[in-house]
Amino acid sequence: MGLINNIKSYSETLNLSEEKRGQLNSFLDEGFPTIKDEDWKYTSLKKIITEDFSIENKVGNVSDSDITNHSLGFENQLIFVDGKLISSPKIKGLTIDGFTDFESRNNNAIMNLNASICNNGFSITIDKNIVIEEIIEILFFTTTKNNFSQYRNQITVGENSEIKFVEKIQNLNNSTSFVNYFTQINCDKNTNVEFNKIQNNTSNSILIDNVDVYQKSDSTCAVNTLIFGGNFTRNNLNFEQNGSNCESNMNGVSVLDNNQFADNHTFVDHKSAHCRSNEMYKGVYLGKSKGVFNGKIMVRPNAQKIDAFQSNNNLLLSDDSSIDSKPQLEIYADDVKCSHGCTIGQLDDDALFYMRSRGIGIEEAKAVLTYAFASEAIENISVEPVKLLAQNLLAQKLNVDLDFSL
Amino acid sequence: MSEKKQQSEDQLLEEVTSSEYKYGFTTDIESDTIPKGLSEDVVRIISAKKNEPQWMLDYRLKAYKAWLEMEEPDWANVSYEKPNYQDVIYYSAPKQKPVLDSLDDLDPEMKKTFDRLGISLEEQKRMANVAVDIVMDSVSVANTFKETLAEKGIIFCSISDAIQDHPELVKKYLSSVVPVRDNFFSALNSAVFSDGSFCYIPKGVKCPMELSTYFRINEAGTGQFERTLLIADEGSQVSYLEGCTAPMRDENQLHAAVVELIALDDADIKYSTVQNWYPGNAEGVGGVFNFVTKRGICHKNAKISWTQVETGSAVTWKYPSCILKGDNAIGEFFSVAVTNNHQQADTGTKMIHLGKNTKSTIIAKGISAGKSNGNYRGLVKISKGATNSRNFSQCDSLLMGDKCGSHTFPYIEVKNNSSKVEHEATTSKIGEDQIFYCNQRGIGTEAAIALIVNGYCKDVLNQLPMEFAVEAQKLLEISLEGSVG
Repeated sequence: MGLINNIKSYSETLNLSEEKRGQLNSFLDEGFPTIKDEDWKYTSLKKIITEDFSIENKVGNVSDSDITNHSLGFENQLIFVDGKLISSPKIKGLTIDGFTDFESRNNNAIMNLNASICNNGFSITIDKNIVIEEIIEILFFTTTKNNFSQYRNQITVGENSEIKFVEKIQNLNNSTSFVNYFTQINCDKNTNVEFNKIQNNTSNSILIDNVDVYQKSDSTCAVNTLIFGGNFTRNNLNFEQNGSNCESNMNGVSVLDNNQFADNHTFVDHKSAHCRSNEMYKGVYLGKSKGVFNGKIMVRPNAQKIDAFQSNNNLLLSDDSSIDSKPQLEIYADDVKCSHGCTIGQLDDDALFYMRSRGIGIEEAKAVLTYAFASEAIENISVEPVKLLAQNLLAQKLNVDLDFSL
Repeated sequence: MSEKKQQSEDQLLEEVTSSEYKYGFTTDIESDTIPKGLSEDVVRIISAKKNEPQWMLDYRLKAYKAWLEMEEPDWANVSYEKPNYQDVIYYSAPKQKPVLDSLDDLDPEMKKTFDRLGISLEEQKRMANVAVDIVMDSVSVANTFKETLAEKGIIFCSISDAIQDHPELVKKYLSSVVPVRDNFFSALNSAVFSDGSFCYIPKGVKCPMELSTYFRINEAGTGQFERTLLIADEGSQVSYLEGCTAPMRDENQLHAAVVELIALDDADIKYSTVQNWYPGNAEGVGGVFNFVTKRGICHKNAKISWTQVETGSAVTWKYPSCILKGDNAIGEFFSVAVTNNHQQADTGTKMIHLGKNTKSTIIAKGISAGKSNGNYRGLVKISKGATNSRNFSQCDSLLMGDKCGSHTFPYIEVKNNSSKVEHEATTSKIGEDQIFYCNQRGIGTEAAIALIVNGYCKDVLNQLPMEFAVEAQKLLEISLEGSVG
């Protein structure tokens, strides 16, 4: 059987339009990417796609305590259960709808699959000239066992508006769940958007997360990705800057252990002059975990005066962990300042010794240094509860009872 | 930017683009050439012409068969019209094949060529203490200092002589670092290589002089398939230089060399290259395709250091690599790659850490001007057993003009938790304030750029042996004078 067959037989039950049929066929022709694809060189889906998944959603029940347990407790929550929107906040200037189909310019195999058979997700439109102080929390719950679900979301931010999101995908049973997720964020002129992704799903969850951000002039968009849970996580984060004075910010913290795998792929496409991008990804690897980072910065011809910075720092804390990193620069304009840095190493023995000689236990000393390492990226998150959560999860992962939020 | 300034910049850029290739001329020497094309027969002819033993012919035929099954790679970030491999002459040797002990016996025509290149062999011989194995169209015609070297037990000869005289060494080490099937070009080279250099440094011997080879593509339409094999036995030390210039031609010429270095326990090899093949004219017509496979293996405590200054060739595809097999081995890579006009370069290195406590350093400096594209592509791989390994990589790019591109594709793979890897890359142009600072102090714009570029490349140029450092600096000046960033 395998996933491809599940998809085929599921698609036969759907009444697909000609266009969607075409997208599905191009996915079926290409199949899931393999390690022969340069973009998937270090990331193998081979084992995952031999398993059977149910693609149909049976909407289950979620109790209030489930929601409280898994949310950060923000007032404005957008809650999905097995793809069905069960709760959405009412805020002036904000229009929230359920799944509304839209076209995307991204048409790789995974995106084609998403475009063809997805019928879940949200569409959020923010009016012009509005600063939304409240943080919008988006929660996706899965109750169906062995489920392969697709989400397709669009956020459109009107001119001069500001908004912040926190998002989490949570599996409520112990079976393997597979999510193919896509969000497109359209930032109009002079907007300010922050999107926080908390990836702390159950230990056998699989996630392919795609985010495409299209920015117009004078806009600022930040996407922060915190990976603590899940078995297999692949993030594709793409920024496209169409207009001058755009700023794109990416912060990532991955803390992995056991057999966890996480792959962060980022791509910043500088198409206009006078723009900036900042990228900071920190990885901490314990147990037999494996990390991948691929960051590409593209500066198009005539996109002068670009400042693009990228850094990827990794701590390998166990001998069975590994990291493959590929920072890339493609520069076609001369008056730019672009740089990337990548480091892979361990905690400094001298620093550990210093702390231990002052009575701090080895675990605590390691945790403090690891936190110091990750904090540079965590500090860039502006939503306080998310920052706090990152600190707590870090302490939890490192098995220490420390409060970093001093 | 004011229009006037723009104009003067354009003018300066124009000057650079229009500075014609200095070394473009052809020497008229009778050549012994076989017809175009590649087939099993051609491989047999090459082998027969060189009077090779059966094992060598078998090796070539095996390589040829492997090549037939392989496809030309296209993963590099370069675009060019793929050469028609049936339109290349695979063997060309100057007809007189003199075995020379002194330079006086050299063909006067050929001698003139070297003189025009500004390389006086006599001078090098006397002053610079360099033994030169000149390879002109594939067959070595002069071999100086052979006797001096022979006293120390050093074997330095053409690879065809080595096949005749030292088959046991060639058999043991040929293709031990770059397997025949390694890639499309190495397979092609293994099948048809016409000549190249062979060097063996015995145990504990420190080579008393810099060894150097001088490559030149001469015959029109002749592909050069050089094969270099350098073996440094336990505890030995050698510094090897390789430099090249090629005459001006309108059709693309193919150069697919293979260089293999073997550094046995405690050995030390330094391999320096100045590459200045014909880059094509300002419109991007002609120029050499340079598809080179260079790789070295380091055994225990051994060290291999690659230094290269790449200014020529229309398309360069070159990754001098180190396999750090033994414990405490050291690999180094220092590179300056300059591209101008329509040149394309995809170059870098691979550092493969297998032994414990292995160290590698990568310093790559790219300079792109005109409409050219420069790429750095590198791999640092630290395997599970390579504990306490260390890598430092730095790749910087300098852009001159707004039509050129510079790209980096580093791959970093780490599989243990006691190793440290650092990688950093920057891309920028020469700051106007930097030039202004020099102007203010009475240094002209041209000189200021030369100064800045020289400073930028200093880390690499410092690694070159003296005589090469001078040539390299001259090359940088010729390639870049007048390009205001």
